[in-house]
Amino acid sequence: MRITRLARRGRPSAHRSVARVRALLAAGTGLALASAVLAAAAVPAAASSGSSGSTLRIQAQTSFSTFNPFTAYFDGDLEVIGAIYPTLTTTNEKGLPVPYLASKWSTSADNLSWTFTIKSGLKWSDGKPITAADAAWTLNLIMHNSVAATSNGALVANFKTVTAPNATTLVITTKAPQANMLYVAGSIPIVPEHIWASEVSGLNNFKNQTTPVVGYGPWQLTGYVTNQYATLTANSNFFLGAPKFHTLIVQYFSNSDAMVAALRSGQLDAVEYGLTATQFNSLKHVKGITVYPQVSATWTAIELNPGARTRSGRAFGNGNPALKDIRVRDAIEMALNKQELVSKTLDGLATTGQGYLPPAYPQFVWTPPASMQLTYSPTKANQLLTSAGYKMGPNGIRIDPKTHKPLDLRLGIHSDEASDAAMAPYVVEWLKAIGIQVTVDSMSFNQLNSDLPKGDWDMLSDTWSTGPDPSYLLSIQTCGDLPLNNGTAGNTDAFFCNPTFDKLYAQQSTEFSTAQRVQTIDQMQQILYQNAVDVILYYPDWLSAVRTDKVKNYFFGTPNAQGFYPTPSQFINWRSATPVASATSSSTSTAIWIVLAIVVVALIGSAVIMLRRRATVGARE
Amino acid sequence: MSSTSAPLSAGSLSALEAPSTDGASGARDFAHYLVRKVAAAIVSFALLLVLGFIIFSLMPSNPVEALTRGHPTSAKQIAFLTKQLGLNQPVWERFGHFVLNTLQGHLGYSWQFEEPVATLVIQRLWPTLLLMGSSTIVSILLGMWLGIRSGWRPGKLLDRTSTGTAIAFWSVPTYWLGILLLVLFSTGFGPIPPLFPAGGMSTPGAVGGLAPSHILDVARHLVLPCLTLVLVVFAQYQMIMRSSMIDELGNPYLLTARAKGLRDAEVRQKHAVPNALLPSVTLIFLQVGTMISGAITVETVYSWPGLGYLTFQALNIPDLPLLEGTFIIFSASVIVFNLLADLAYRYLDPRVRRS
Repeated sequence: MRITRLARRGRPSAHRSVARVRALLAAGTGLALASAVLAAAAVPAAASSGSSGSTLRIQAQTSFSTFNPFTAYFDGDLEVIGAIYPTLTTTNEKGLPVPYLASKWSTSADNLSWTFTIKSGLKWSDGKPITAADAAWTLNLIMHNSVAATSNGALVANFKTVTAPNATTLVITTKAPQANMLYVAGSIPIVPEHIWASEVSGLNNFKNQTTPVVGYGPWQLTGYVTNQYATLTANSNFFLGAPKFHTLIVQYFSNSDAMVAALRSGQLDAVEYGLTATQFNSLKHVKGITVYPQVSATWTAIELNPGARTRSGRAFGNGNPALKDIRVRDAIEMALNKQELVSKTLDGLATTGQGYLPPAYPQFVWTPPASMQLTYSPTKANQLLTSAGYKMGPNGIRIDPKTHKPLDLRLGIHSDEASDAAMAPYVVEWLKAIGIQVTVDSMSFNQLNSDLPKGDWDMLSDTWSTGPDPSYLLSIQTCGDLPLNNGTAGNTDAFFCNPTFDKLYAQQSTEFSTAQRVQTIDQMQQILYQNAVDVILYYPDWLSAVRTDKVKNYFFGTPNAQGFYPTPSQFINWRSATPVASATSSSTSTAIWIVLAIVVVALIGSAVIMLRRRATVGARE
Repeated sequence: MSSTSAPLSAGSLSALEAPSTDGASGARDFAHYLVRKVAAAIVSFALLLVLGFIIFSLMPSNPVEALTRGHPTSAKQIAFLTKQLGLNQPVWERFGHFVLNTLQGHLGYSWQFEEPVATLVIQRLWPTLLLMGSSTIVSILLGMWLGIRSGWRPGKLLDRTSTGTAIAFWSVPTYWLGILLLVLFSTGFGPIPPLFPAGGMSTPGAVGGLAPSHILDVARHLVLPCLTLVLVVFAQYQMIMRSSMIDELGNPYLLTARAKGLRDAEVRQKHAVPNALLPSVTLIFLQVGTMISGAITVETVYSWPGLGYLTFQALNIPDLPLLEGTFIIFSASVIVFNLLADLAYRYLDPRVRRS
């Protein structure tokens, strides 16, 4: 026995090599089997998602935090809240206010009082009737309780009183006429008083995540798995008709590649937000998936710091003083080739920008007249700077006549935005061509947010979106949004402050005639354009994709001449989406065969190894 | 595996020659050793507490703006929120609250989730332990197995291939590898259909609890994140074990063992491996200590609802109480496991006891 052992150690034996190979084979076989079993477990899930056909799987815009409509901020939460709680009005596919809880409304002669007639016969999901008292209680709570005002306090700032004289009448009086009342009424979720009255004392800590949640809407929240997904069940008693899907699952994916992978594999049925141009184009030719470009409700701009100041006019920050000169800002606008930017960095999936409000809501679209337009022209930009006294220095960089320093500007971009990174080199090159040196500061969203109110910047890349009512997007350009002297309370976009603009802002908020309001807002957009504080580069297309082999009618409406669909609204899309009758994926059956093949090969391999080991047991001893 | 089963190395021989200590003085030594180590751990924790607060306070941030971004917010609301979050307090006052709360066991209240940090940490602990635990075990087994065999026969085919592979995966950015595996295996490629999910920890709508189908479902969701971590991490164990094994190769006790007629595998497993294990034990303790912090990138790529992903979410705002709270937990975990590693070393290596 001993001799045998020594002999084995003496020669690097084939036995050891074979044993090692066998061990590796056995380990590999075990791993393959484990993987196959786990992959096989996927098959029933994938099959069921298609065959049941009654579950719609959607990506959430953000992760979930709370379903308390008084304190929720994040879009993911707000999407769910919008589906499970009613509002007085809602918007149709054209973005216009239409009845929801309120069947009709009227205003007093002085436009200071609104009377809403609440539909009778509607019931919360626990069977209790929905009355005007619920709406009055909700709105009063927001008006008088600081915590309840966390999310929607700004929307009721102009409300004076809210009363419910009877079960079907709600009266709102305002301090000043409020033209956007119907949009505001469509933005504040109404909650059942009999459920929420007991939660007021601990409202800040109440997350409203115990299901089923009592509410009213096309859906009811019936399940929530912390930080993963929310399950909503269709409300068969919804007054506009039950949604076509029985169940809606809203799931958050923390990166867009995972989200696209989930759509490709059928884990998601639709992706409404967050697709990049590259991802959108890659999905164009995938079988079973249809891509939808929609009219943009977003702009991307380079903000120019015209001089940071507080509401009382105290200057602060270290922005380059040259940007106070409108001629420098105009020259920058003329130096940027927006069309090239769109075609080279976004594959053409955007519209070049001019007016402040994006094209999603056509009534507010404003285009500068030809005589006012600052079109791309490096020659004119150079002439403008030269005539303004910015002489070209020896190294091709112009000198500021006031400070006698080279015209050197910082461009802050988001480090986590691919489109920013793509845009920056073009801007550097184009501004260099007119004698302005640009240093790119790639910053995190937090760094950028931190720098903005301090005024420690020259140029920033920024993006804003709007809903059907542009009031908020306009408000961030008013003097009232500048910070106080102690540095707090400012929500300004780029330290813009213009008394005429402010006057027009106040005026449009009281104009009940849409035509008049549009006219006023046009004037406001003209002021913004002429001041060139926000150089609107483009309106990026909203890019979506749907598994049309499983879901139809998710996006509807007729695309315009450019092929764009109307801007989506989850409230409409989720109800409109309809299951496709036979939606069993062919890849599922392929998966079954491949998984079975792996299992069979692994089993045969294991059997062969075991038999051979048994046959050579004697030799090994 | 214990050192008592190992044959005598040069070190252990000299240990036998050292003057023996009686039981009472041994216990006294141990008590001194323990007090020293615990005191060092407490000082480390206190320093980390201060350091963590300073780092997070210096972070550029505007949490109120980040929370209300794109949402109609009046100046009154901003002022209320600033006060509610405690951002109107001077830094020294916030630090005082932070220290007092920590000493009382309160980890603060998350701004973003409107929930106690301790509750959030407990909710996300289990997914992290599952992911990190399984990937750590597989990495240790795979890395040690390869390291032992590579080190035993350095330069051979197995050594060259396994070392090359390990270094290649170790060098790959975790985020990139995660995305690559996710795209390949969750969307399929060529004739291979999608095999594993693209994210999350379970299939939405499926039955939960301890149902076998749910356990299998979670396991299926675990495969890709676990595989990503294993591929990146196993190299540590492989390389350290390989290096330790190579150090042992020339020692006379192995020749003695061979002269006794032991088989090569026995010489390796019973004599060389126990003596080569100590550096790996240190690494394992360090790895277990960091396990609780999860893997921020992998959890984020696969939307795995663990503590790493929670940290990523906290950084986005930044949610300072949540960041500080998770920092305390992560630091405490590393310190405790370092302490345990020191104690284990004393048990495993007689030289430490003597010193």
